[in-house]
Amino acid sequence: MGRLRAKGKAGAAKAYVTRTSAIKKLQCSLADFRRLCILKGIFPREPRSRKRANKGSSAPTSFYYAKDIAYLAHEPVLKKLREHKAFAKKLSRALGRGEWSDAKNLEDNKPVYRIDHIIKERYPTFIDAVRDIDDALCMVFLFASLPSNARLPPSLIENCSRLAAEWQLYVMHTRALRKTFLSIKGIYYQAEVMDQTVTWLVPYQFTQSIPADVDVRVMLTFLELYQTLLGFVFFKLYTDSGLVYPPPLDAKKDEGGAGVGAFSLQNASQSAPAVAPKPKAVEIDGRTISGKDVRQAIKTMTGADSEINGDDVDMQTTESNPMEVDEEFVPQQSTSDPQSASSLTTLKALTALPQSLTTSLFSPYTFYLSRETSRSIFEFIVRSFGGRVGWPASSGSGSPIDESDDSITHVIIDRPLVERTDETSEEREWRSRRKYVQPQWVVDCINAGKILLEEPYAQGSTLPPHLSPFGEYEGAYDPTVGLTGQTAEESESEDEDVILPDDEEADGEQLPEKSALRAAAAANDTASLRAAELAAEVAGVDYGTFEKEVRKSRKKSKAPAKDDVEEGEQDMNKMMMSNKQKKLYERMKYSEKKKAADRATLEGKKQQLQKQKKRESKAG
Amino acid sequence: MATLPRSKKRKQSSEDVVAAVEAPAFSAPVQSLEMLSDDEGPEETASDDGQVDEFPEIDGASDSEEEALGDDEDEEDEDEETDEEDFEEADSDDSLDRDIFPKPKTIISDITGQPKRVYPEIEPDYDSDSSTEDTQNRVGDVPMHWYDDLPHVGYDMDGKKVLRPARGDELDKFLSTVEDPSAWTSAFDKTAQMDKPLSAEELDIIRRLYANEVPDASYDPYEPMTEWFTGKGKEEIMPLSAAPEPKRRWVPSKWEKQKVMKIVRAIRQGRIISSKPKTASKLDFYSIWSEPSTSHAPPLPAPKPRLPTNSESYNPPEEYLPSEAERAEWEALDPEDRERDYLPKKHSALRLVPAYDRFIKERFSRQLDLYLAPRIQRVKLNIDPSTLIPKLPSPQSLKPFPNYKSLKFTHSGRARCISISPDGAWVISGDEGGVVSLWEVNVGREVKRWKFEGKIGALEWCPRLDVSYFVVGVEEALHFVIPPNVPSSVLLLTQSLLAPTTLPPAPETPSPVKWVTPPTSSWSPDTAILTVHLPPSSGLPKQITWHRRGDYMASVSSGGTQGGVWMHQITRRHSQAPFKKIRGAVQLVLFHPLKPHFFVATQQYVRIYNLSEQKLLKTLTPGIKWISSMDVHPSGDHLIVGGYDRKLCWFDLELSDKPYKILRYHTRAIRSLAFHPTYPLFASSSDDGAIQVFHSRVYNDLMTDPLIVPLKILRGHTVKDGLGVLQVKWCARQPWLVSGGADGTVGLWCS
Repeated sequence: MGRLRAKGKAGAAKAYVTRTSAIKKLQCSLADFRRLCILKGIFPREPRSRKRANKGSSAPTSFYYAKDIAYLAHEPVLKKLREHKAFAKKLSRALGRGEWSDAKNLEDNKPVYRIDHIIKERYPTFIDAVRDIDDALCMVFLFASLPSNARLPPSLIENCSRLAAEWQLYVMHTRALRKTFLSIKGIYYQAEVMDQTVTWLVPYQFTQSIPADVDVRVMLTFLELYQTLLGFVFFKLYTDSGLVYPPPLDAKKDEGGAGVGAFSLQNASQSAPAVAPKPKAVEIDGRTISGKDVRQAIKTMTGADSEINGDDVDMQTTESNPMEVDEEFVPQQSTSDPQSASSLTTLKALTALPQSLTTSLFSPYTFYLSRETSRSIFEFIVRSFGGRVGWPASSGSGSPIDESDDSITHVIIDRPLVERTDETSEEREWRSRRKYVQPQWVVDCINAGKILLEEPYAQGSTLPPHLSPFGEYEGAYDPTVGLTGQTAEESESEDEDVILPDDEEADGEQLPEKSALRAAAAANDTASLRAAELAAEVAGVDYGTFEKEVRKSRKKSKAPAKDDVEEGEQDMNKMMMSNKQKKLYERMKYSEKKKAADRATLEGKKQQLQKQKKRESKAG
Repeated sequence: MATLPRSKKRKQSSEDVVAAVEAPAFSAPVQSLEMLSDDEGPEETASDDGQVDEFPEIDGASDSEEEALGDDEDEEDEDEETDEEDFEEADSDDSLDRDIFPKPKTIISDITGQPKRVYPEIEPDYDSDSSTEDTQNRVGDVPMHWYDDLPHVGYDMDGKKVLRPARGDELDKFLSTVEDPSAWTSAFDKTAQMDKPLSAEELDIIRRLYANEVPDASYDPYEPMTEWFTGKGKEEIMPLSAAPEPKRRWVPSKWEKQKVMKIVRAIRQGRIISSKPKTASKLDFYSIWSEPSTSHAPPLPAPKPRLPTNSESYNPPEEYLPSEAERAEWEALDPEDRERDYLPKKHSALRLVPAYDRFIKERFSRQLDLYLAPRIQRVKLNIDPSTLIPKLPSPQSLKPFPNYKSLKFTHSGRARCISISPDGAWVISGDEGGVVSLWEVNVGREVKRWKFEGKIGALEWCPRLDVSYFVVGVEEALHFVIPPNVPSSVLLLTQSLLAPTTLPPAPETPSPVKWVTPPTSSWSPDTAILTVHLPPSSGLPKQITWHRRGDYMASVSSGGTQGGVWMHQITRRHSQAPFKKIRGAVQLVLFHPLKPHFFVATQQYVRIYNLSEQKLLKTLTPGIKWISSMDVHPSGDHLIVGGYDRKLCWFDLELSDKPYKILRYHTRAIRSLAFHPTYPLFASSSDDGAIQVFHSRVYNDLMTDPLIVPLKILRGHTVKDGLGVLQVKWCARQPWLVSGGADGTVGLWCS
């Protein structure tokens, strides 16, 4: 027998603390505790045994690791929060006494906490931070679209929209965008930054109102963290790609609704002397590849687009420079982190080369946005794939091209086709020279990785379905693939069966045929099959139909017979599974069945739709 | 200036007063003028400084005598005015009489012939004091009870007695309060010994006290401040002291200079920033990841949200759109229970897509997940579920085992117990009607039938091959029966065993169990050759089990003391109870096939006793709520225990007292278990009407676990009254199984 241990001195009782006791220990309010948890990324834990963790009580509570709470107790932000509490008291007293100058002094010396150390703690490496900016981007894009009110100061909204624009600029600059999905919830974008996929959701451009059951304080605390995180991440991203952060904002353009165009990317190397370019030779497969070779390869692949790229008014000066530097394979000297920059692998760049074809998908084209299409969406998409884009003045200022520009190849238009008699000759000419496509074309091209045919997406035509580029789970229903071979065939024959009864009613002569076929279907051994064949011949069924019927019935009868034995054995073997395994097995089977059922319903629906369509086409 | 005209008026009125003093003949107009000034009293108090300012002018206008007089007048006037703020007009008349100097009369002196002023005679009483006016009693402040017995209450000024005023009785007092309207404002006067009405001043004092005011009506707590030294013309021009002016008055302070210079220096050095920027909170970003990170492990990254699927598209394929039924079902569900939080919708163009109304709500719920939801790191099992099923040899390779029902023998009642002869050729089966049938295994023909009183509780064939008999357990008795058609040598040996001519000596201690053999003359194939009468109220024997040698037999009865367990020795015709006392109701007992061990199953435990050493060896805990059946492997190292809670436990007796394997495959209670004596088979029967046959291979090697393979589920018995297959037994030399069911059939299952 071991030493007797006092209850509640070790184990789960010691390792976990309830929220109430955590607050008591930290001596702060619940709101402050929440704020700390959000900022520090501390979340409750589920103990193995709730009863043991709660010292015998089974009351519903949330538990935290005692060590997490001990870690919070040393937090400088907590100290600042306490200071803020004292400050609030002093301020309210000064205001109550009407000591205005004191109140002003206090207000000027208000305690403000910084959370950059928290960013460093939560994300020890830059990759960690990049991996976790999904939620931050979603929030920032959401708040950039919200109207300001008493609780949301305009400065906050402004900062959010600035961060959103900076991210978009970076993605456009590095051509990092990979996938886009127009969903009913908003637009999903996926970019690849530092080999991490970053997915964010942007709401459609409508005024959102904050519902009453949403706690804005929680959202604002998150936003506070996210703004700081994004600031540091962008700083690193910008400086690593040789740009000045923050990008200077042209107030005049911003007033005119230029959006992203109001910021201008500035090359950091313009101010700081650049490192002397050294062509780096890399050995691959025993062959020496110099930077020159690679450059040649890139030039042949993206030959045309770099010329057109040069026309880009916004980016002309800013973008061409880093591109060239990239092509030279000069290790970009990062002002912030020289080590990381020097370890830039050219091999990685080489593997990324085929990607460049898709990232410059739109570079031969020039787009013009019709005024009903959302400029912020399509300007971003088109420019991140190398295209040029223009828009009417009603969508904001700063359009690099106007409608009459000859270089326009595509017009993104989202209105029904209307016959116009008063078309000018110029407009008619445009119409003949330019392709008028609906917005979905742009997104589908990106997701397909190639330029699709414009006809199905032409103005006013019914669009093909828009599918998610992110894919679904293994074995899910795929709408692009037709129904699976067997089921398709069966459905075909079933289809015939459905139609057949009408014929039967028309002439009763057919009845013996049917019975013969049924006999063939039921026949198992060769002798009875032969008899059935004869009967069918007598009834006047042609051999092809007969064969088909027989094959079908075989398929039906054979499969279950074989399965039965196997299944019976399997069922019996299940007896020997332990309880735990049995439960796990049941769970897995359940989910499998559910997936299969989902798939079956979707396939059934599609079949139904196809039949309906066929019938309609027959009738019509 | 609003006060200016009033002050002029005031000047005028004061002049009027002066005029009145100068011309005393016109007393009446003076009076009226006075009244005029009285009316303006309150206003004058408001314009005090103006009045104060005008004193010098008055000074300059009058001569010194009049000046003093006027001054006097004026002061008095002022006093009066403040008084009269609160007082009635009647009082002012009275006070006028008192205050104004007695007026002289001018007469011609008889003696000198000159006019002279004659003042009226001054009466010695203080008529101004109304309170002392009519006090006649002059006793002073003495206790008045001294006069209680006397007719007078004191003396007046002249020394005459002041008689006690008549005081009426209580009725008079009451009437006076009713009649006299001023009665409620009167108080008892001690010196006069009568009620005196209170004066207006006294009432006023009472009212003031009542209202928490200053009782003195003349006291003004908000008196205007009189400026004596400030203001124009009131400065003191002459110095009060001759001391010279100190230096500090006109030399700049050195200390002050030093202090200022300190601040100035701090500002110059930048220690004090004169105007700090307002927004210090503005973060400037820097390269935070260039410094090495701490060794502290970062928190787990939050799981990424699910990526959107095709159904979330603004223009999904039509098959994703919900049907009416699906939509209704989705809407009927609680928002928490919904599998997805949106309904797929198709829009024909992007411009028609509306805002998503739950956007903020979804972001918020994501954040709640991030900071409120406990996170657990789970290893995702990406395996085919069929790999979880253990790989076992195919039953086809483990033949022979009973496969189909070859025979059926029917009883009228429930076939509760069956037994198979040790040579495997005969089956006896007993039902609840008391009928025991003997039939052949091969053909199923009934050879003989016995009828006993009451239910048949247990049946067991003696395992000896040289003798042939079986034991039938009925209510409180065990009957030993010899089957018909046995070879004569075997018959003789059996008879001599069961009914020896010379009875063995009776045991020393008398046993409650009686061994009775009927006389030789009455022997018949239909009756028992030997009957063991168990003690009364022991109930129906539930089980009979034989030792492998066939000399000892144990029986378990449903009632009785000592757990109902009796051990019978045939050769000595002796029965004994092995346990004096046993905890729990004994369900089953078994002999170990090789060792002198004895298994006793109570409701929840199986205990193993060593019979030769007479001690408990082991207690097995199967974890079954109620044990129903048990059998031991022919090797004696393994035990299977079945329970009414559907569990079957396999014990490796050398391993542990916990089960090696627990199987739960029957849907109802397990009724019976049996190991095959020679083949590696065992079977279990259950109330669900099924018999499960297993292959059970036991290895001599201790390191190898026994192999248990389910072989076949035999179905054929029907469930009746919730009871299925009540007992299963194996044929000794064939892999055949005999089962008795609650439906009255006894089936033989052959391979």
